Amino acid sequence: MLSYPCPTVLELIDLRRRFGDTVALDGVSFEVPEGRIVGFVGRNGAGKTTAMRIALGVLQADEGTVRWRGAAVDTATRRRFGYMPEERGLYPKMRVVEQLVYLARLRGTPKEAARARAEELLTTLDVVGDPNARVESLSLGNQQRVQLAAALVHRPELLVLDEPFSGLDPVGVDVLSAVLRRAATEQGAAVVFSSHQLDLVERLCDEVVLIDHGRVAAHGTIRELRASRARNLWRVEVRGANDGWWQVVPGAVAVESGDGVVMLELNDGVDPQRVLDVARSGGDVVGFGPVQPSLGELFREVVA
Amino acid sequence: MSAADRGAWRLVAVRDFWVRLRERSFLISTLLNVAVISVLVLARASGGLGGAPSFDLGVVGGPDELAIANAAAARAHDASISMQVEPFETAADAEAALRGGSVDAVLSPGQLAGMHGIDATLIALVQTSAHAAAVDAVFQQHHVPQAQREAASNDAPLDVGVLDPPPPHRDDNAAIAFIGVLLLYGQLFGYGLWVATGVIEEKSSRIVEMLLSAIRPRQLLAGKILGIGVLGLCQLLAIAGFAIGLGTATGAIEVPGTAIGAAALDIGWFILGYAFYASLFAAAGSLVTRIEELQNVIVPINLTILVSFIISVGSLQDPNSTIAVVASILPVSAALAMPVRMVLGAAPGWQIALSLTLLIGSAIALVPIGARLYEGAVLRTGSRVKLRDAWRAA
Repeated sequence: MLSYPCPTVLELIDLRRRFGDTVALDGVSFEVPEGRIVGFVGRNGAGKTTAMRIALGVLQADEGTVRWRGAAVDTATRRRFGYMPEERGLYPKMRVVEQLVYLARLRGTPKEAARARAEELLTTLDVVGDPNARVESLSLGNQQRVQLAAALVHRPELLVLDEPFSGLDPVGVDVLSAVLRRAATEQGAAVVFSSHQLDLVERLCDEVVLIDHGRVAAHGTIRELRASRARNLWRVEVRGANDGWWQVVPGAVAVESGDGVVMLELNDGVDPQRVLDVARSGGDVVGFGPVQPSLGELFREVVA
Repeated sequence: MSAADRGAWRLVAVRDFWVRLRERSFLISTLLNVAVISVLVLARASGGLGGAPSFDLGVVGGPDELAIANAAAARAHDASISMQVEPFETAADAEAALRGGSVDAVLSPGQLAGMHGIDATLIALVQTSAHAAAVDAVFQQHHVPQAQREAASNDAPLDVGVLDPPPPHRDDNAAIAFIGVLLLYGQLFGYGLWVATGVIEEKSSRIVEMLLSAIRPRQLLAGKILGIGVLGLCQLLAIAGFAIGLGTATGAIEVPGTAIGAAALDIGWFILGYAFYASLFAAAGSLVTRIEELQNVIVPINLTILVSFIISVGSLQDPNSTIAVVASILPVSAALAMPVRMVLGAAPGWQIALSLTLLIGSAIALVPIGARLYEGAVLRTGSRVKLRDAWRAA
């Protein structure tokens, strides 16, 4: 593992939680550094939402602790957290700005500061419509942006977002990505968000936590995950060679092949150049190179 | 509790207060209360609801009949009964007035006629006057001096007394107690229901998870109960003020001091009753996610309040019946039943003290129970949460 320049702020330590006979969390531990964006991925029901709810104190863990800057989390600490729950929720009949100001004040932001910040966020997030309109009169996309504003309005030091990108159009995705980036880099907030859009996670996150069956299956930067998980895969495209040309190289196993393209997994000690030589002797090599597995592929490999 | 925590429940209370105040149903309930009170007070002012009786007596005949009628009116006046005397030219005119209802009875030579019947008080007043006039005529024939004649016909020969006199202004008090218990019932039920629907609104709109990431469930619950309760209190104060003002202005209430005392009593008992019921309403509301399901979970609370109300109204007739006494002491019904008995002056001090002790004690005991159920259930959306599960989850 690399050592991070940023200090750890949030620690989840051996969290366990059951719902009746269902084990939702079976000893989840990970840390989130200051100013970093951490992607939280896993299949449906893997325990993402439960872990996030416990981190925020909305739900109690059966066992384990959550620490913030080395201390147990109390009410005063939690007021510095921002949350966007999976189940979106706002008062439908309350006016947009009024609602944001109210939520900020619940977390201790003074009234005037809350109003200024709310209005600023509505502009930044490109919320279309009258800030004094009732929430229920906004389109779903706009409601989603207001929901995000509600998580950000008190300038939290920790942002926990449960599926913030679901339901957003591509422009919305870009706006939200930029806002999260800025929160991390400019305000030094630690950001944790869950998503099933793995390409987005790959692009946006400094680190990824992969959770499976209530346990952390993998945690690290994308590069680290690749290094620790990825197989030594090479893609070779040859024209005019016989099928199975690679079989003369010991330690080269085809993962898939067809239409002149073969994906070879090379065992330790197999020189890729040896593979290339064999390929060239069999036909015209059109393409040759190592394959970087996407997060999606790593994900499938881990949870398989 | 830190200063920040106190601020949180205050914010919740202020929001709930203003949100409910601006709701259409608040306006409707205020207008409805004002309308009901107006009807009751005005009906009483016109004598329709057991107030001091008032009679219109028609007269046909000569000066003798008119003298009898005026004497009856004077007697009526001495007994705080209002009586108007209306002379008619002909018997036909008088009969028409009787049929039309503008007079209660018609006095003609040697006869007192009514429509369907005549009020016993009216008969007694006119009979006495007629008898006195007849006796006076005999005295006059025998040249009895004027002073003796007057002395003989004036004073009642008997001093009237009772062994167990009812408290003064019993009628007044019963009317005040009735209006009071009606208001209390509406406020306790209506504002309790508002607590329950407020909880459900936050649950069904899912904002409760946002709120609970910022503040503790108990602060949210306390703020909601306080905000809605203070609004209920303000409305009760306004309505009580209106009722006393209207009652005094129209003469429906003869002694404003009693009414003000009764209003203060009702307000005090509203606070206690609301404290008792509100956390139950909140707990019930937290068990369900949709408003339509609310009815299923609040039936037991509804029934309790309704039965308490019915017993309380019944105790207006007999405030010392066993059921009235028991209901005024049991915490589930005391907030409605005890103020009625207190306004009627029927509750001894020890019963009031016992009732207060039990109600305050059980309200204090219920708050953490209600709060725990609320905490255990409020984040569970979807199907109705079982009480046992809610209790265990917290």
